[in-house]
Amino acid sequence: MSIVNVAPPSKFDVARKTFIRNGFGSPLTTLISVIVIAGLAYIGWVLLDWGIFRAVWSEEDVSQCGGHAGACWSVIDARHRLILFGTYPFDEHWRSTLAAIAIVLTVVVSCQPVIWRAKRLAILWIAGFATYYLLMEGSLLGLPQVTTDGWGGLSLTLFLFAAVVLLGMPMGLGLALMRRSEMPVVRWFATILIDTVRSLPLVTTLFTAAVVVPLFLPSWLEGDKIWRVIIAFAMFFAAYQAEVFRGGFQAVSKGQFEAGRALGLSYWSILGRIVLPQVFRHALPSTVNMIVVTFKETAIVTIIGFFDILASGKAAYGTAVWAPYYIEVLVFVAAIYWVFIFLLGQYGEYLKGRMALAAH
Amino acid sequence: MKKYITAGALAVMGAIAPQIASAQSATVQQIVERGTMLCSGHNGSYFGFVEVNDQNEWKGLDIDLCRALTTAILGDPDANQIVPLSWAQRFPALQSGDVDVIIKATGWTMGRDTELGLQFSLPYFFGGTQFMAHGDLGITDATGLEGGTVCVEAGTTIERLAANYMTTIGVEHTMVSYESQAELRSAYLANRCDAFAGWGPNLAVLRATELDNPDAHIILSDQLSSEPISAAMRQGDDGFVDTVNWMLASLLIAEEEGITSANVEEMAATPPNPRVARLLGAEPGMGERLGLRDTWAKEMIAAVGNFAEIYDRNLGKDSPYGLERGLNSLWNEGGVLYAPILD
Repeated sequence: MSIVNVAPPSKFDVARKTFIRNGFGSPLTTLISVIVIAGLAYIGWVLLDWGIFRAVWSEEDVSQCGGHAGACWSVIDARHRLILFGTYPFDEHWRSTLAAIAIVLTVVVSCQPVIWRAKRLAILWIAGFATYYLLMEGSLLGLPQVTTDGWGGLSLTLFLFAAVVLLGMPMGLGLALMRRSEMPVVRWFATILIDTVRSLPLVTTLFTAAVVVPLFLPSWLEGDKIWRVIIAFAMFFAAYQAEVFRGGFQAVSKGQFEAGRALGLSYWSILGRIVLPQVFRHALPSTVNMIVVTFKETAIVTIIGFFDILASGKAAYGTAVWAPYYIEVLVFVAAIYWVFIFLLGQYGEYLKGRMALAAH
Repeated sequence: MKKYITAGALAVMGAIAPQIASAQSATVQQIVERGTMLCSGHNGSYFGFVEVNDQNEWKGLDIDLCRALTTAILGDPDANQIVPLSWAQRFPALQSGDVDVIIKATGWTMGRDTELGLQFSLPYFFGGTQFMAHGDLGITDATGLEGGTVCVEAGTTIERLAANYMTTIGVEHTMVSYESQAELRSAYLANRCDAFAGWGPNLAVLRATELDNPDAHIILSDQLSSEPISAAMRQGDDGFVDTVNWMLASLLIAEEEGITSANVEEMAATPPNPRVARLLGAEPGMGERLGLRDTWAKEMIAAVGNFAEIYDRNLGKDSPYGLERGLNSLWNEGGVLYAPILD
C-alpha cells in the first residue's frame, strides 16, 4: 500500500500551480506571459544596471561620473546631510537626528492600541512635540539656538506631517461630532467651517497663514510662521477628516445609540464604548488614505519658504558640481517617501486585520 | 482722508527731518537691537546667486552681499539669519518684517517700485537676454545666424525681444517656439536649433553645468536687453536705503581703487589717496553720516572682499560658471557699474 500524502498543499505550491495554469494555459496566454515577463525583466535589468552595477558610489570618485552610463550616487554621499537636515547647522545635526527620532517614536507609539486613551495620547503627544521643539530650538536646553528658519530636510517634513495629523485628527473628530449635533447653531457652524475650508485650495490656505496673516495681526499675536502654517494645515486636514468620520458615523445604525440610551448610558459612554470603535473601523481605509496624502502634501510648504525634504533636495543638486545629477537626488528623496508611506500603508493593513478580528 | 494723513505725515516729517539726517535709520536700529540681520534666502537654490554648500551653509552672490551689509551694520559677517523664501513670497515677507531686505536676483520694475511700496537700491547686477549657439558653427555674434534656426520659449518676453532684435539687425532666420525650458533644451541639444535665447546668467550656468561638454557651446556677444538687479527695501526708511546704497558703492569703489580683502589693512594704514583714506575710515566721515562706525567699509572688505572678488567667487572666473563680467564690469572697464561720488 503506497503512502498517500494527505496534507493540504502548501500555499506556495498552490500559488505556483495557479500561476502556471493561468499564465501558460494556452499558446496565447503563454505568449502574453513571456512578453510581459521579458519586459519586466528588461526594465529591472536596466534599473539595476544604472542604479547598481555601473553606479559610482563615493564622493571622491565624482570625476568618474561625467559621461558615465550609471547613476552617480556620489551626490548622495556628498549631500545627504543637506537633504536630511536642510540648512540646520552642521555641528548640531545630532540634535536634528534625535528630534526626528522622537517624532517617529511618537507616531509609532501613537499607533499602538494600548495607548488609545485620551489622557495617554495627550501626554505622549505633548512629550513628543516638546522633545522635538526643545532639541531643535535648543536655547531652553542651553544649546546654541537655531530658529525655525534653519530647520529643514527630512526632519522638518516628519515634524510637519506628525503635527498636522496628530492635531488634525482630534479636530476632525470634534468637527464630525459638531456636525451631527442636535443644536442647530453648532451644526451650522461646523458645516460652514468644513465647507469653507474644503472649498479653498491648500496652497492658498497655507500662503495666507504664512504670508498674509502677519500683515494684519499685531506682532505679539503673530507667533512663529511654522505654528501658523501647522495650524492652518491641520484645519485643512480636519475638514476632510471630519467628512471621513461622518461617513463612519453614518455606517453605525441609529439603533445602537437608542439601545445605549435605553440602558441608561451617558452620551460620552455611548460614544466612547459603542459608537466610536465602530466609526474608526468603518473610517479606517479612508483615514489611512488621508494620512498618506497628507504626508506627500507636506511638500507644498516649499512655496512658502520652508526647507522641506524636496526643497533641500533641490538645493542639494542646485550647485555647479552636482547639477547634472538631479535624477539621483530625486530618486533618493522618492525612496525616502516610499519607505515612510509604505510603512503607513502596512500599518493600515495591520489595523484592518486587528479590527476584522474584533468584528467577529 | 488719506490725503490729510499724507499731508500730516509730511508736515511731521518736515519738522523732524533735520534730526533724522544724522541719526541711524529705524531699520538699522532694529537690526542693531536684534543683533541679527534678516536676509532673504531661497527655497532650494538659484545658481550662483543663492546656493547651499556641502557644510549646509548658504553661499552665492546675493548671500555675500547680505554678509557685506551685515558686516557694515553689525561688524560681523555671520550675524545674519537667512530666511528661505519662495519667489512669490518675497515681497509680502519684506512688508511683514520677516526679512529686513530682499537681495534675491530681483529686477527693479516700476510696478514694484510704486504699487508694491518698495524702494530699490543702486543696481548691483545687469542681466539680459542673450543667445547660446553650438560652438562648431564658429560664430561669435548673431549675424552668424543668417539662414539658421533660433529657438525660444513660447509666450515669454524673451521671444518678443529675440524677434525684434533679429529684425533690427536684419538677419534672416527661422524662429521656433517651445512650450517649456526642458523641451527647448532638448531640441537645442538634438541640433534642431542653431541657437536659443535666454537670460544670460541662466545660459551661462546651463552651459557650465547641464550640457555634457561646455566647450561645444558659445554664448554670443549680443546683448538683447539689460535688466537692473537691485536690493529691495520697504519704502519710507531713507536712511536704510542710504546704508544699502553705500554698502554697494563701497564695494565698487574698493574694486576701482584696487582694495582687496588681502590688502585692506595695508591700504588703511597707508592710504594712497584721500578717497581711500575716507573709505577705509583713516579719515572720519564714512560712519557718522550713516550712523555707523567709521571703519565699517574696511571691516566689510576684509570680510567679503571687493565687488570683483564677490563676483568672481560666485559667478565669474573663480567659480564653475565662469560668467564674463561684461556689462557687470566697472564703468572704466567697459561695464555699467559705477559708484556715486564719495566726498
